Amino acid sequence: MITIVESLFHIPGVVSGRALGLILIIGIFILGIYYMRRRKLPYIRRVAAIDAIDEALGRSTEMGRPILCSYGRGGFAYSVIAAMSVLGHVARIAAETDTRLLVPTGGSHTGYLTRELAVDIVRSQYQMAGKPEMFNMDDMPFLSGEQYSFTAGYIGMLVRERPGAVIMTGGHSSEAMNIAEMSNLVGALTITSGTYVSNMAALACASDYIMLVDEQPAAGAYLSRDPEQLATIRVIDIYKILSLVLIVVGLIILNATGNDFIRGLLAS
Amino acid sequence: MSWFFKSKQVNLAILVASFMMGFVPYFLEVPQVYGFANTLTMVSAVVGQFAIVIAIYSQYRRSLRFISERRKGWVYNIYLLVLMSVMILMGFLVGEHHASYMWLVNSIVAPCSSVVYGILAFYMFSAGARAFRARSLKAALLIIAGITVLLYQAPLTGAYFPGISPYAVFLTEKVGMSLNRMFSIAIITGAIMLNVRMLTGRELAFMGFVGEEGS
Repeated sequence: MITIVESLFHIPGVVSGRALGLILIIGIFILGIYYMRRRKLPYIRRVAAIDAIDEALGRSTEMGRPILCSYGRGGFAYSVIAAMSVLGHVARIAAETDTRLLVPTGGSHTGYLTRELAVDIVRSQYQMAGKPEMFNMDDMPFLSGEQYSFTAGYIGMLVRERPGAVIMTGGHSSEAMNIAEMSNLVGALTITSGTYVSNMAALACASDYIMLVDEQPAAGAYLSRDPEQLATIRVIDIYKILSLVLIVVGLIILNATGNDFIRGLLAS
Repeated sequence: MSWFFKSKQVNLAILVASFMMGFVPYFLEVPQVYGFANTLTMVSAVVGQFAIVIAIYSQYRRSLRFISERRKGWVYNIYLLVLMSVMILMGFLVGEHHASYMWLVNSIVAPCSSVVYGILAFYMFSAGARAFRARSLKAALLIIAGITVLLYQAPLTGAYFPGISPYAVFLTEKVGMSLNRMFSIAIITGAIMLNVRMLTGRELAFMGFVGEEGS
């Protein structure tokens, strides 16, 4: 059956086995642009973890402690890009409220590039707030290009600086647990995001708030309050519902008749 | 000239062109563009090498400031600077495959990394202990599922309570796997939608265009 599905979705000029993926991505793009132009706001539930960012910043300011925000240790993955939006938001409020912002950087060999971007984002926010003198490059240290050296440095910063809140978004893997637990130990309000599926459950236990699955890629749109960006969240819901329906219908058909057309469709 | 490279439109055009260089060869059979993707990867690798120099400079500057101001933990910064300098010098003088350089990696870097990784087990334990408090129905269900899988994974209990095996396997392979797939679908869709916002110029915070200019 899988062969039949593959031949059904064979388009000349398209790499074999990738036609359906191409159609789905083009579909997402068209739907996304359609909803952005309509600017019709869908219902958007409250995302506790994103709402808690402002609470965390306020807490740090009141306590007179710094806020620590990291964007992951990877290169230009979607999770790091989404985390940059969160970092920009945190830096803006930190600049406005005169709260010291710490951003540990590094953690991988691709982290060198993203670091420069993060520095640029934070510096821009201080400049826009009219306080360029408050930007301190030493508060954005490059800890290491190695994962666990970075982790040790990160934990060292937590212990020495005792931040009031830790916002750890972006692509973190196993070191996320070390950081989240240490953050708890120093009494910081801990907000994390679970993009690495395998440690999502563990992070949920260790954090005060966690952004799950598609909440992080949507965080930039959610924080911007821009109707055009928020409208795109509807497309994510449409695709999730479509996928769920396909999976449930496929399961019923497969178990009832033995026909694996939908499984082949999804596998292609 | 700097205004040209700081322009939002120019940056967006470069972003779209780079996206197409990666997207087109992945989906379409157009041999003419295969080379572009490789070239782009090489360009980013070269830029990355420059970024390494800036990162090392920032670490030196910060550590020297910590030492000169005798800030908390300044002694560790001496250790860090000495080791970093030795590693850089050895790398330049004898190369990364030389026995003396490998000794530094195997005797200092690797054991320290292993220690940090090993501590993870204790952190998992303490986080688990906090989570295992049945304050609601959901928390109670989590505890039952967690203990079932935990007992199954532990060698002794697995041997003494074989009856637990089918339930643990069901929870791991059916419930866990299906949730994993659902998470993957949601993450991928969210990531593609993020790309749509980026390519249409709505979300450009990652390029440094923040506030009124983008984002």
